[in-house]
Amino acid sequence: MNKFAVLFLMVFALPTLGSAPAVSGVSALPEQLPPDLVWETNLDDPIYASPNAVRGGMYRGFLGSFPLTLRRVGPDSNSGISPYLRGLALGTTGLHPNTLRPIPHLATHWAYGSDGVSIYFKLDPGARWSDGPPVTADDYLFTLEFMRSPYIVGPWYKDHYTNVILDVKKYGSHIIGVLGSAPKTPAEMHYLYGLQPVPRHFHKLDENWVRDYNWKIEPVTGPYHITDIRKGKYIEFRRIDDWWGDNKRYFKYRFNMDRVLLKVVRTANTAWQYFTKGELESFGLVLPQLWHKKARGEIFDNNYVVRYKFYNDVPRPAFGIYLNEDDPILADKRVRYAIAHAMNIELVLEKILRNDYERLQTMHEGFGDYSNTSIKARPFDLSKANTYLDEAGWRERGGDGIRLKDGERLSLRVTYAQPHHTVRLVVLQEEARKAGIELRLQLLDGATAFKQVHQKRHQLAWFGWAGGGMSPVFWEFFHSDQAHIPQTNNITNTDNPEMDRLIDRYRASTSEAERKILAITLEQMVHDQGSLIPTFKIPYIRGAYWRWVKLPPAHGTRSSDVLFEPMPYSFGGGEGGPDIGGLFWYDAAEKQRTLDARDRGIKLDNMDWVDETWRVN
Amino acid sequence: MWQLNPLTLKRWHRFKSIRRGYYSYLALMALLLLALMAELLSNHRPLLIQYQDQIFLPTYGAILPGTTFGFDYEYETDYRELNARFKSGEIEGRMLMPPIPWGPLESDLVDDDFPPHAPSLARRHYLGTDGAGRDVLSRLLYGFRTAMGFSLTLLVATYSIGVAIGCIMGYVGGKFDLLFQRVIEIWSNVPFLYVIMIVASILPPGYWTLVLIMVFFEWTGITWYMRTATYKESSRDYVMAARALGASHSRIIFRHILPNSVSTLITFVPFAIAGGITSLTALDYLGFGLQPPAPSWGELLQQGTEDLDSAWIVSSVVGAMTLVLMLVTWIGEAVREAFDPRKFSYYE
Repeated sequence: MNKFAVLFLMVFALPTLGSAPAVSGVSALPEQLPPDLVWETNLDDPIYASPNAVRGGMYRGFLGSFPLTLRRVGPDSNSGISPYLRGLALGTTGLHPNTLRPIPHLATHWAYGSDGVSIYFKLDPGARWSDGPPVTADDYLFTLEFMRSPYIVGPWYKDHYTNVILDVKKYGSHIIGVLGSAPKTPAEMHYLYGLQPVPRHFHKLDENWVRDYNWKIEPVTGPYHITDIRKGKYIEFRRIDDWWGDNKRYFKYRFNMDRVLLKVVRTANTAWQYFTKGELESFGLVLPQLWHKKARGEIFDNNYVVRYKFYNDVPRPAFGIYLNEDDPILADKRVRYAIAHAMNIELVLEKILRNDYERLQTMHEGFGDYSNTSIKARPFDLSKANTYLDEAGWRERGGDGIRLKDGERLSLRVTYAQPHHTVRLVVLQEEARKAGIELRLQLLDGATAFKQVHQKRHQLAWFGWAGGGMSPVFWEFFHSDQAHIPQTNNITNTDNPEMDRLIDRYRASTSEAERKILAITLEQMVHDQGSLIPTFKIPYIRGAYWRWVKLPPAHGTRSSDVLFEPMPYSFGGGEGGPDIGGLFWYDAAEKQRTLDARDRGIKLDNMDWVDETWRVN
Repeated sequence: MWQLNPLTLKRWHRFKSIRRGYYSYLALMALLLLALMAELLSNHRPLLIQYQDQIFLPTYGAILPGTTFGFDYEYETDYRELNARFKSGEIEGRMLMPPIPWGPLESDLVDDDFPPHAPSLARRHYLGTDGAGRDVLSRLLYGFRTAMGFSLTLLVATYSIGVAIGCIMGYVGGKFDLLFQRVIEIWSNVPFLYVIMIVASILPPGYWTLVLIMVFFEWTGITWYMRTATYKESSRDYVMAARALGASHSRIIFRHILPNSVSTLITFVPFAIAGGITSLTALDYLGFGLQPPAPSWGELLQQGTEDLDSAWIVSSVVGAMTLVLMLVTWIGEAVREAFDPRKFSYYE
């Protein structure tokens, strides 16, 4: 369920990311290809797939509900299969999941314009659509036309391809230039200004597009295409036999399954039953009650399935308690500090979450050198909380033990949207009483909670922003431009001139070194501001899979937020992020052995593993 | 109010003679009484503390800060800690805990086990705990009080409105009657659950908002019966006679018609109470009900059905619901039988 919350929030968070106004003046792409471009590529990073991988077999996964469309964009296009559809629509470049440097996908080389906002790509002449034609520069020009078209009814895409990507130009059949809206560091340019081509020969854009293309199978550049659907039941993907990318450095030994069958299984409980019968290859078990209570029985005792725990190092969703500084009580920094010290997060971790989750220390964990690892979240400390509150004038205590100041009670509303988080909040509530703080829980449904918080009508918001991106973002969360007005993401209403100054510098800078220093300073200022109490993180993924699925020796990558994605998959199910899908393969002999052993009730050797390669601290 | 006239007395005796209904009534009243004094039965505060020649009765009223007993904190005394010190002789004193030494909001987070904890006599969680370590029996008890309170408030409110409007419809008749019939028909076709969902998305549901919304939709039910009863009574000879004597409309309605149609109303009361309890439970279950951490049966039911491995949660709340609804239904049946006009009304 955590994941759902994150995804839900992401849907809302992304549009504002996209529409952030440009920092610099807008330039234009030159008419002719600039002669002084320095073309770069990257074929030196280590490969992260295993040369031992063999091709073949079928991977069976499940979808919670059948998608309402096979379109990648437009109404209802955000469904269980959209991460796969987005993944199969490869872009110009990907990110190496371990080094986080760009790697060739549909482009072989790239170069950065001298203006700091343009990037040029040399396209791979061998790349082909799954229905045959080669991928050319025209398909990228069409991307812009397509995404900006009113007929696709895709507001987010329209905004992104209008306000973030300003222009695309063709400089020959396999060279394009892309103009972005704001100067970025080279790595961020790939992430933000990279493009997925759209097959011009396939689409006919008119007012009927949404309806006519609802169930049409769009040609892809990736290694799988949809070969069979039965509405309401399943979707089948098959490997393209002589995929153009088969021998490319970073695609080799990957995408090993011949077929991928995604079956509709309505509830997680039923899916679990399928898994225990061996009809699904893997199952995620991040939630404590699943891992500790469900993952038992013969298939575990006899080791027919493998239990794993894999630590990754990725931007963590910023789960925390967001304090609204515009609230008269919370305007006092000492009260904010006191609240932070009165939240017994440690107790919740230990007694409710079985220490499976860890304390999130800052809002910006997992960004590598951009993260300030010296900051530690304020621990539960009643004496500190009491001192701060006494200083702030909340000295008296009422008959119920709650502090008073000029007759007003220190009573604060906590807005949250996840019913199963109530158990965590009641513990915090009881503990906070000890400091004389009353928390009133207000459980709202997701959309209402988000609305209240986005309109800045909350006091404390129990909330999470989805992680992602190459580096932390400060402007939309902490700049005074975004404070005191509804519908922005500065939900703490942080308004600090010194921070504004640094945030502006951070946004304008294209030097990675400078940005890193600024980010670390800004994170310290966010901590000092005290308007955010970081709560939990889950620094790993864990689950179980049947023995016949084989993983590379490294199991996954630094950026793997999931291990068992058979097809191309970008971190978080998005576009242009670290490329982590298709690393595992299928061992038919092992499957036979496992099933035979199960039939005869024989115990096999234990293959459970924990991989801490990418564990931070 | 109405005196116990011979007819009412007869009905009461008749009700008493229906054993199942009468005992259910006694049992329900006993449960209600227990729920009303829930603080004395289930609480993290002791009933009685004897400390340094002083007697404390901490159950009701303000908290006793830890400093009262020589601790160094100002928040409410940790009575469990205090009791342990009493027992070890470290501090002189004694305390008497309630039969269920747990409050409905208190999490019991024991070492080397994670909530929900199974029922245990040793820790005095007679029905175990829920997912946050809160005592199930305690939450059932307090939840029952809330549900009954909710149900009775709802009953009084809907009946006041419904009876008034139904009565006027039947008594005035004519266009007023016609108009209200149509209004009520339209009203009762508004999908109630959708409205709750919409309202819940605008303002956070609380006890009184819920009562208000429910009253808003439930008052229509009783109007039909009241209208018919009034129609029937107002055409009777004694009403004519009263009118001929010059009695006012209000006198006729309140002195003559209402007392004579009360039997219709009474038979619906127990079922309306059962309806109120199930509604609140259903709303809580769906998450549109009371705000956490209020103890509620619906919330327990929701936790229980999500965690079937901890069977004590779901079985406790289902058991409690079945028991209460069964008692109420039995009472209802007995009331209906006792008030059956075929036994006590005489027609010419």
